[in-house]
Amino acid sequence: MRHLTAGTLALAGFVVGGLWFAGGADAQQKEILIGSQCDRTGPTQLVGTIFCPAVQDYVNLVNSKGGVDGYKVVINELDNNYQVPPAIEEYERHKQQGIVSTLIWGTPQAEALNPRLEKDRIPGTSPGFGSAAAANGAKYPYLFPLAATYWSQGAAGIEFVKDKLGGSLKGKKIAYLYYDNPAGVEPLPILKELQQNEGFELRTFAVPPPGVEMSAQILDIAQRYRPDFVLAHLFGRAPSVMLKGLKSSGYPLSKVLGFVWASSEADIAAAGGWGVAQGYHTMQFVGVGDDYPVIQDIKAMYQKAGKPSPKEMETSVYYNRGIQDAAVHIEALRNALKVTGGKPPTGEDMKKGFEMIKNFTLEGLLPPMEVTPADHEGGGWVQIFQVKGDKMVKETEWFRGYRDLVLKSVNAAS
Amino acid sequence: MFYREAGVFKTSYAADMALMPLPNTRWAVVALAVLFIGITPAFADEYTLSILNLILIAVVGAIGLNILVGYTDQVSIGHGAFMSVGAYTAAHLITKLHAPFWVSVPAGGLMAAAIGTVVGIPSLRIKGLYLAIATLAAQLIIEWTINHVPWVSGGTQSTIQVGPPSVFGTKLTNAWQMYLFLMFFVILALVGTQNLIRSRIGRAFIAIRDQDIAAEIIGINIFRYKLWAFAISSFYAGVTGVLYTYYLGIANYEQFQLDVSINFLAMVIIGGLGSTLGPVFGAIFVTLLPIVTRRVLESAGGLFFSASDLSAVIPSLRLAIFGGLIIFFLVMEPEGLNRLWRNIRNYFRVWPFSY
Amino acid sequence: MPEFDLDFTLLLVSSGLMIGLMYALIALGFVLVYKATDAINFAQGEFVMFAAIIAAAAMGAALPFWIAATIALVGMIVFCFALERVVLRKLLGRPVVAVIMATIGLASLIRGVATLTFGAGVRSIVLPISDDPLFLGPIMLPPVQLVGAVVSIVFLAGFTWFFLKTRMGVAMRAVADNQTVSMGMGINVQRYFALAWALTGVVSALGGVIWGAMLGVDNQLPLVGLKVFPVVILGGLDSIVGAVVGGLIVGVVEALAAGYLDPVVGGGTKDFAPYVLMILMLMVRPYGLFGRRRIERV
Repeated sequence: MRHLTAGTLALAGFVVGGLWFAGGADAQQKEILIGSQCDRTGPTQLVGTIFCPAVQDYVNLVNSKGGVDGYKVVINELDNNYQVPPAIEEYERHKQQGIVSTLIWGTPQAEALNPRLEKDRIPGTSPGFGSAAAANGAKYPYLFPLAATYWSQGAAGIEFVKDKLGGSLKGKKIAYLYYDNPAGVEPLPILKELQQNEGFELRTFAVPPPGVEMSAQILDIAQRYRPDFVLAHLFGRAPSVMLKGLKSSGYPLSKVLGFVWASSEADIAAAGGWGVAQGYHTMQFVGVGDDYPVIQDIKAMYQKAGKPSPKEMETSVYYNRGIQDAAVHIEALRNALKVTGGKPPTGEDMKKGFEMIKNFTLEGLLPPMEVTPADHEGGGWVQIFQVKGDKMVKETEWFRGYRDLVLKSVNAAS
Repeated sequence: MFYREAGVFKTSYAADMALMPLPNTRWAVVALAVLFIGITPAFADEYTLSILNLILIAVVGAIGLNILVGYTDQVSIGHGAFMSVGAYTAAHLITKLHAPFWVSVPAGGLMAAAIGTVVGIPSLRIKGLYLAIATLAAQLIIEWTINHVPWVSGGTQSTIQVGPPSVFGTKLTNAWQMYLFLMFFVILALVGTQNLIRSRIGRAFIAIRDQDIAAEIIGINIFRYKLWAFAISSFYAGVTGVLYTYYLGIANYEQFQLDVSINFLAMVIIGGLGSTLGPVFGAIFVTLLPIVTRRVLESAGGLFFSASDLSAVIPSLRLAIFGGLIIFFLVMEPEGLNRLWRNIRNYFRVWPFSY
Repeated sequence: MPEFDLDFTLLLVSSGLMIGLMYALIALGFVLVYKATDAINFAQGEFVMFAAIIAAAAMGAALPFWIAATIALVGMIVFCFALERVVLRKLLGRPVVAVIMATIGLASLIRGVATLTFGAGVRSIVLPISDDPLFLGPIMLPPVQLVGAVVSIVFLAGFTWFFLKTRMGVAMRAVADNQTVSMGMGINVQRYFALAWALTGVVSALGGVIWGAMLGVDNQLPLVGLKVFPVVILGGLDSIVGAVVGGLIVGVVEALAAGYLDPVVGGGTKDFAPYVLMILMLMVRPYGLFGRRRIERV
């Protein structure tokens, strides 16, 4: 038995050793490598299983049309299971393979990678998550949130509610239901400041991870506090549990606004379907649905290859966000190539490329964001969609709330 | 042939009690030192160094847990929580008081040991597996405290950023500098543990593990020594937490949750309970497992799964292999990888004869 | 501290009681194993998840609910038998620490294998009952929880009767007390171990179906298993009645903490309060409210 164990282990060791050196793709000629950390498993897998294929799809689309100025774009995707040490190890691996920019996944990961990105001069994007202070391009030169941060989301949410409640919030009651982790807690300072300025009553309800048990909070909101509006900043399983809970407690969902990670078709399906979620308002930082040319192009690409459209497209909220993350990298690459005059760009060129992004909306899918060296957020634009019938209907145009207050906080922070 | 004790005669008590009595061992250690301290940081690339750094930090933690589980036979599932205690303590000291590393590392360890003592006092009074459950509770309570008490967590993000440590004035920003820094602590931990086990305290631990009733009869205060073991292992955990903080650049409790505790338990079991090299093997194995699984699947996985399924498969495969190995080692080879190493060593000890 | 509102408190307490009964159902599996084999099963939550996944997968293949539930039941029994045969039998006679660590390893293994074979993502189990809650005055009773509570009570009563009155039950208790003497009395110890684990499988299947229906089935479900520990410590590791009482206490404490303490402290006390209770209990009365005083003190 002893010999058997030793022998098997030795054999396994040889096989593994051999395969170690065989794997992975390094940069070739006329290829640009972009790193992507994307979690298809772990606590954020609900998003990742849709988001990550979308990134690949968009890059394939771009390559099928000749790449970017003749360069083929290769995305190396790795999963960090929402842990920081693997994130760092994977970043080093990507660096070894020669990436010029990277998609980051996860708020603590963004913080941990920041000093390394700065040292290695490789820009990283973190749309819709990450620390809000990272919008400050001067303090965080190599981090690009590129989508409304949690502060902007909070401010926009209050703006929307003000609009819905007739233009004034004085004396009104607002409930903030949030996932009890750093990301969920982040909008609080903005909300509290707005509470003072606008004169409304704010009560906060924390939901402990993993966010599947919130009956007491739901009961409190629905039966006792009975606010005029609920702002819900939840992730993962929590949004669907909330929808089910509020509906069965009799609180109208038309008085609930979900922030960007509580607002996808998957949440509604997990809550029991469109019938349950009627009237629910969702905040988006990318367009929803497939009524955009880019999505139709991708469908056409699949059809040409004789395959059906990817089923990930049904959760268009996350799918489109994947498109956005990939698209900004491609656009930055385009800009960077202009700067280098066609030569392969370095990470620093990519950084300049990101900061040149302006009026890049992919025909309505993305907001009119404008990235500058000072503002790495792009403007903090959001759009509200409402659940009507069996889909989400656009309720507002792109807007942002209390921009001055948010900018003031961004500059004051860090 | 390579490991002969023949021909070695000691002429003083000191020589007999030395940590490395045989000249063979001394040569081996010197060779390893040259390899790992001299050659590796100079020639290895950044990626390899980053993996090695992760392994080094894990070794310190595993050694600490081994003192508790391997030498005193108590199960703790709260190792991760003590790491986060050490991490946040150090982070506060560094950011608020600009403490240098030779203050923050011991401080983190001591704070973790203090909290460990507090947790240990009620739970070590009862025999059996209650410590396991109590440490589980400690893990969750400590997590909650860090998340909810702002002056501990450093604000809403519960993440405190720290800069790289400075040694004699130079900041350690390169991977190989960090490697040497961490190696220093690993050597300290290894030598310290070796001496601890040979000392009175260590022998008390082993006595408690083997036959606690007999130990009590000969006058060992079981409760006190168990508490010592728990405190010492928590100290190691705290130091590990500080090292992680330096390496990652942030202190964040989400990195020290229950699955991390279970990881370290696995390191100790797979590596071999109750030996000094065991946790080293275990730490190397468990840290490398996800990386190796991923590389192997990258090359060969295309045969079994499609590209998109692949990235989903790897973490679950890792979990499955992980759990399977714990069970395998418990059932088949309770002394873990260390036993395999011993077998190899003993084989060479009498080579070319077979016994 | 927010004002004391009777209606709200009644709501919280009733919700807590029902959830508590469902915790008791999971704790029951744990107690069964401990009573018979002295082993602490850290993988209880994973058992529940595994059962739920089997049921959800069966329902996904368009099988009606009752068949899916039966498949889950049978699957879990087979699984537990196999487990006992392959792994646990080899660990007989080893210190109990080894079994604990084996179950910890088992927990990871089940989680990994479940995701591998059945894929990630959420599934749902739809019970053949309506979704709308019943209103009894100020108290709101979601049907899922009602069903869970009823099932819990039925099985808890059933198992109590089993252990007290039937031959097999008494034999199992004998095995738990002293293996060697039981063997001397002609009881086939190994068979009873297998039976104990199989019963745990049954209970996990029930728990899995109900909790899966309530929370949705994904790989976060095992976290519910962590709640088992405060329940059994409060109630007593080897007492079925203790599991019920412990479950009720934990359920109510959680609900009240969430309702009254959370607004003050900023959240999360719900998870944390049962563990504080547990530590207090460990200090004062480590064998729980109903457990037997078999604990040796140091």
